[in-house]
Amino acid sequence: MTFELFVFYVFAAILVFAATMVITRKNPVHSALFLVLAFFTSAAIWLLAEAEFLAIVLVLVYVGAVMVLFLFVVMMLDIDIATMRAGFVKNLPLAILIAIAMVIEIFLVIGSGSFSLDQFAAPLPLPADYNNTASLGNILYTEYMYPFEVAAVILLVAIIAAIGLTMRKRPESKYQDPSKQVRVKKGEDRITVLKMDAED
Amino acid sequence: MLENYLPILVFVAVGIAVGVVMITLGFVLGTRRPNSEKLSPYECGFEAFEDSRMKFDVRFYLVAILFIIFDLEIAFLFPWAVVLDKIGMVGYLSMALFLGILVIGFIYEWKKGALEWE
Amino acid sequence: MDLLMSLWEWLGENLVVVQILIKIVIIVAPLMLCVAYFTYAERKIIGYMQVRIGPNRVGPKGWLQPIADAVKLMFKEIIIPSGANKTLFLIAPVLTLGPALAAWAVFPFGDGLVLSNINAGLLYLIALTSVGVYGVIISGWASNSKYAFLGAMRSAAQIVSYEIAMGFALVGVLVAAGSLNLGEIVRAQEGEGGLFNWFWLPLFPLFLIYFVSGVAETNRAPFDVAEGESEIVAGFHVEYSGMPFAVFFLGEYANMILISALTSLLFLGGWLSPFNGWPLLGPMFDWVPGIVWLFIKTAFVGFFFLWLRATFPRYRYDQIMRLGWKVFIPITIVWIMVVGLAVVFEMPWWFD
Repeated sequence: MTFELFVFYVFAAILVFAATMVITRKNPVHSALFLVLAFFTSAAIWLLAEAEFLAIVLVLVYVGAVMVLFLFVVMMLDIDIATMRAGFVKNLPLAILIAIAMVIEIFLVIGSGSFSLDQFAAPLPLPADYNNTASLGNILYTEYMYPFEVAAVILLVAIIAAIGLTMRKRPESKYQDPSKQVRVKKGEDRITVLKMDAED
Repeated sequence: MLENYLPILVFVAVGIAVGVVMITLGFVLGTRRPNSEKLSPYECGFEAFEDSRMKFDVRFYLVAILFIIFDLEIAFLFPWAVVLDKIGMVGYLSMALFLGILVIGFIYEWKKGALEWE
Repeated sequence: MDLLMSLWEWLGENLVVVQILIKIVIIVAPLMLCVAYFTYAERKIIGYMQVRIGPNRVGPKGWLQPIADAVKLMFKEIIIPSGANKTLFLIAPVLTLGPALAAWAVFPFGDGLVLSNINAGLLYLIALTSVGVYGVIISGWASNSKYAFLGAMRSAAQIVSYEIAMGFALVGVLVAAGSLNLGEIVRAQEGEGGLFNWFWLPLFPLFLIYFVSGVAETNRAPFDVAEGESEIVAGFHVEYSGMPFAVFFLGEYANMILISALTSLLFLGGWLSPFNGWPLLGPMFDWVPGIVWLFIKTAFVGFFFLWLRATFPRYRYDQIMRLGWKVFIPITIVWIMVVGLAVVFEMPWWFD
């Protein structure tokens, strides 16, 4: 067994362990953190498959951004675990049915022969100066320009949807307008001089 | 390519090990005389009323979601920046369009007040 | 000497991991020393700025103060609050220190003087910095304390916001250098003009934004609302004591040094001499090794961290978010496109 294969099995074992923990832990925060571990190890496995750029971007986007959002949500919602577990037994038969269907689907896809190892031979080890990012960039912005722009549109839709779903102006909340604050003048904006008769 | 990543793997392990060793050292050398007052969470002398994990403003989620979108944008910019001198004007224009579309989203955020913080 | 060299080569062939470990120790040990004396420098410099002397009791002129602090923290009791989640509470500081150290794996200390010369160096760095936020979030949540939680949420939202500005600024550097490899980025700044060939000049807005975002990322004054001692006591590490606190502290200072070192690498020419190619001064300073220049530059940028802390009052939270989203992001996007044009048209001086 080569060293690379050994590293692969170590990471694969950690990945399977972490993934199991994600679905079995009772505390949602623990689950989310195990999901982070799972992403990390899968990034390492992608790296072993010589997909340098994708592996690091997986850490950057999923660990660095998506899971932060997950943690925000999971930490700040008071999830009552008791009520969540109440429906467990009731929904179990349906869940098992769906799980079986999914397993069959996976086997149909993998078993069809179009994903077998003789179709996809292991890639040759790339030289040390191979630049994964550059070879990706060379085609992404020219040959695949159209899908690239479609990605921009999808991101635009995501921005608008996120704002549409979460923005709520509460009437009682107070804002400070910095541009107004900056434009305040020393004299007339700060004090009002009242004329009044002197009282004795 | 992979041989370059072995030092990184070792370095990450060392980075974690340094922290773990230091904390273990603290446990070994430090005193341990706990009592319930000492272990109660700090709240300026009050007893803690309730669980400290509370609901938070939805605004924090919005920041996180927008962060994901912009982070993706940065991920798209990285390969572009590396090969810009090879793909030339075509590449430049395709990125200009990409950023242009996203700037529309950014302006929308701005006008909607999503970047406002009360 | 010959024996040592042959032993070294033998290690490289047979026990690569041991060889790598030795190299890592050579990087990490001086780094830890730098962190220790950075805290000393901070207290001294801020002291003098405020017309105080700063620490001067332990050892000559207080030189042993950081060591005394470390020993003291080592013997302190580690308090784990009653409602806290023990494991996560102790993992959080490790998650702050780990990335701050691991980032140095791709850092070139001189021409070719780098532990791991990967092509995606800068990408690796930005991915690691984005992981740093976990230490803050987890510590705040695991402490089960209101102040800690508030501090963690504030700080997480702030770190996340400034990471975008930071990422865009880095993309600007990439456009200018045309490579993700940190060594290549420094070599792209080499030229006859000496310090005028470095990227700080054509990328000046990005240089400032990168540094300021770095200050915000590390939760330093004037962006230290995460700690905000007058509002939320100490923020996310309010419940920490003894060694776990020390690890947090180390992580924060190691991050500061990392940001300073990266600023000097990406914008200030790294190991290059500032007088490179100048008629008289150039040859005069030729004997100075590159790593000394790098150290001087890093110390110079690090000094700004301290100077900022001594000078500015704390920002208000809405102002921080405004600066990150409404000022930095638009400027960086515009400047990336400007630099991109300059690269496409091969503007002389920097990009030809």
